[in-house]
Amino acid sequence: MMAEQPLWEQIGSSFVQHYYQMFDSDRSQLGSIYIDTSCLTWEGQPYQGKIAIVEKLTSLPFTKIAHSITAQDHQPTPDNCILSMVVGQLKADEDPIMGFHQSFILKNINDAWVCTNDMFRLAIHNFG
Amino acid sequence: MAGEKEIWQKIGEGFVQEYYNQFDNTNRMGLANLYSPEACLTWEGSPFQGREAIANKLISLPFKRIKHIITEQDSQPTIDSCILIMVFGQLQVNQAVPLSLKVLPINILRHVTYTCPMLL
Repeated sequence: MMAEQPLWEQIGSSFVQHYYQMFDSDRSQLGSIYIDTSCLTWEGQPYQGKIAIVEKLTSLPFTKIAHSITAQDHQPTPDNCILSMVVGQLKADEDPIMGFHQSFILKNINDAWVCTNDMFRLAIHNFG
Repeated sequence: MAGEKEIWQKIGEGFVQEYYNQFDNTNRMGLANLYSPEACLTWEGSPFQGREAIANKLISLPFKRIKHIITEQDSQPTIDSCILIMVFGQLQVNQAVPLSLKVLPINILRHVTYTCPMLL
């Protein structure tokens, strides 16, 4: 008998699936998941607020992108948010496949789960 | 021109330094104090709940010596005045070949949620 997934895992994995589907098909739509106080750290660079974040993501220098998730973990936080961590691989245009790590904090605002914190790094940073 | 560090970067760096100092240079018994009573740990996909369970897991890890080498860390403030930290680096266990490592501790005002060191 398989135990039912905890709620935070269901929400987290559903968000993650939706996020990468949107990212890979049309990243200009990503504005819907961020709010004005969201923070993104992209390869160590900080971006504040939905507009700055969407501008950064849509200006990334590739046409085609595909993410593949290797593993994901989700945890509830003390203030009813969800922490999600993703490890995976991505392929941009004809570049070689690269590993990546991304972490999200999700918050429920007016019955919708939005991303308040987002951190992304390529796996190259594991090596000194 | 190097800007002054944001407060969450300073706190984040201080915490990460202390955390890995405890992890690498002690018998790891003091790590429990960095976690709140209700903290969550996800270790390689397995969940641990509460300071005691987390302490037991970390103390019982099957190596005597470990060394974490931090290559990058990112910090962000969260809406409820907490700090989200992501750490990248390498670790060496018992003098073995370094493995790549990514860990994500969250430093929350009164408690710590440490999640997912994932060995690639």
